[in-house]
Amino acid sequence: MSSETPGASAAAPAADAPATPPGKPSGGPRAVRRTWGGGLFASELGVLFRRRRTWAMLGTLAAIPILIAVAVRVSSAVPAGRGPAFLDRITQNGLFVGVTAMLVSVPLFLPLTVGVVAGDTVAGEAGLGTLRYLLVAPAGRVRLLLVKYGGAAVFAVVAPLVVALVGAGIGASLFPVGPVTLLSGDAIGAGEALLRLLLIAAYLAVSLLGLSAIGLFMSTLTDVPVGAMASTVVLSVVSQVLDALPQLEWLHPWLFSHYWLDFADLLRQPVAWDSFATNAVLQAGYVAVFGALAYGRFVTKDVLS
Amino acid sequence: MTRKWLRWVPAVAVPAMIAAGVLVGSLPASAGDPLPAKTPQQVLLMIAQHNEKSLSGTLEQTSDIGLPQLPKTGPGGVSSDAAWLELLTGPHTARVYLDGPDNARVQVLDKMAERNAVRRGNELWFYNSKDNTAAHTQLPAGAGDHHKAAAGPVPTPEDLAARLLATLDATTDVSVGTDVQVAGRAAYNLVLTPKSAVTLVDSIAISVDGTSGLPLGVELNARGQAEPAFKVAFTSLTLQAPDAAMFAFTPPAGATVTEIPAPERKANATPPSGTAPEAKGAKRPTVTGTGWESVLEFPAGAAAMPGTAAGQAPMPDPAAGNPAQADPALPGGPMTGAASLLEQAAVAVPGGRLISTSLVNVLILDDGRMFAGAVPLARLQAAAGLG
Repeated sequence: MSSETPGASAAAPAADAPATPPGKPSGGPRAVRRTWGGGLFASELGVLFRRRRTWAMLGTLAAIPILIAVAVRVSSAVPAGRGPAFLDRITQNGLFVGVTAMLVSVPLFLPLTVGVVAGDTVAGEAGLGTLRYLLVAPAGRVRLLLVKYGGAAVFAVVAPLVVALVGAGIGASLFPVGPVTLLSGDAIGAGEALLRLLLIAAYLAVSLLGLSAIGLFMSTLTDVPVGAMASTVVLSVVSQVLDALPQLEWLHPWLFSHYWLDFADLLRQPVAWDSFATNAVLQAGYVAVFGALAYGRFVTKDVLS
Repeated sequence: MTRKWLRWVPAVAVPAMIAAGVLVGSLPASAGDPLPAKTPQQVLLMIAQHNEKSLSGTLEQTSDIGLPQLPKTGPGGVSSDAAWLELLTGPHTARVYLDGPDNARVQVLDKMAERNAVRRGNELWFYNSKDNTAAHTQLPAGAGDHHKAAAGPVPTPEDLAARLLATLDATTDVSVGTDVQVAGRAAYNLVLTPKSAVTLVDSIAISVDGTSGLPLGVELNARGQAEPAFKVAFTSLTLQAPDAAMFAFTPPAGATVTEIPAPERKANATPPSGTAPEAKGAKRPTVTGTGWESVLEFPAGAAAMPGTAAGQAPMPDPAAGNPAQADPALPGGPMTGAASLLEQAAVAVPGGRLISTSLVNVLILDDGRMFAGAVPLARLQAAAGLG
């Protein structure tokens, strides 16, 4: 989460960034461009993570594990098998706060925050009237699109990580931490359990990349950021509703939300990597399709604002 | 104008490429018959002679026998005593680890949960992560030499194949179909087709590994149904001994552990219910008809749904050697939940009620007698003397 600070200083208008690499005259325009792209990306991250909105969303995500932990702490013991999975394990092991919080935030909170960030990428600039200034610089629209998607992807990595780490932290401070019982009944040490927790966060980050690409495409369609955000979030809900209809079983493996909850496979012994791989392939497909759509739309778009 | 049009090429090309890739991937990869031709007898012999005692693999099981799928999540989820019924109605994935005849582990991968059966020597452990319960039992020494792997609710193909082949007789056409690919291995496809016209079973296909003779999958097809009614097959398989630590199980801290007394007669791990169908004596089912047309008759009072397991009628003791009944979920639970679920699936027919699936029909008469078989309703009614 601290990765956003270096970009803060580079947030100045991107136009003056090309002047920065004077030490490399022999590199030619190519080297200049590359630095410029890095600068643009850093600036994008700086803008993203200095927004109050971003911090509010991350704060809300961090509140989920805190709420869960405090609620379990002050209430009586949860009977086994009731409530969300893993909830009954929290009193025995605080690390399960992170798992439970991620499980709870997968259906709505994570897609919601990612939808807001991804939907804002292009439409937000258009809405503010800054998009054409970004395009005046000789970076090209493709680069801008890539940078915008990169920013959304970084948020998709940070968001589940916040839930996992805050969950592990609050769990460790309120409950005992010890060997973690996996779904298979085997126990692993706390260190390895933390690694599994990070793996789950990585799984969710990968899961959200497809949604980010959809959000990016939506964002190129409109100049009203709220519209892009809302349609992205609605799509994620629609996908989950379709996933729950047994009549549409043939469609299920193609829905980007289909494998979201399969991160439990990382809590088995040995780890079942199949769902991780399948999910990654599926998300890559969504990134490719909606990335191409976003490219087609954004490159041919008449930028008026 | 053309340049603008060109920008949309990726947006069209990427989905097209994905679609092409999917199409190519879904084509059967068989380039003719890669394996040397064999007669059914030779393939049967391969199964009989295979000696793969160590493996780790993933099994996928799907059922489509016309029963409604039970809800898997939410408060209305499957109660533990109906868990075995749930195995018949939905897809499942299980991981199987075998090392010699005495070490086995089966993991049924549920959503956000897992059911485990671990056998090491004579120690047998069950663990259900959903309610964090474990059960332990000591197998009598020498027992279970012949029920090697199938300690879990999903029967291994090996077990199923052996069971099916036992019913082979003059009633069945046995042939070897075109080779198939199972778990990335070339396999013979042994096809059993009933000669009788009065059965619901269309065909049974057993895939047999071309090199080791290990049965890799079983598929039951019902008449008039395109999808297999029941299918279990390996999706990945390694013929190597798994890590020995896989078979070392100690119940996790905080788990509720119950001790099941060592079974006197094995098979009767299913606990208390005095009405259990295999309670012997007068309640033993009688068989009318032969081969595929067999009808099992259960006298009144035995209506606790026995023998639905593989839908195979002519089996002397339907529950014997079917450790699925020893599912960790079961101990302590009466059959009522499952029975009531089946009640809901029953429809009224002349003379009683019928539970109809694409593979098995069960007719429960008003006087309590029950008739079951892989035959149409009319045959059941005839056997019941109604026709």
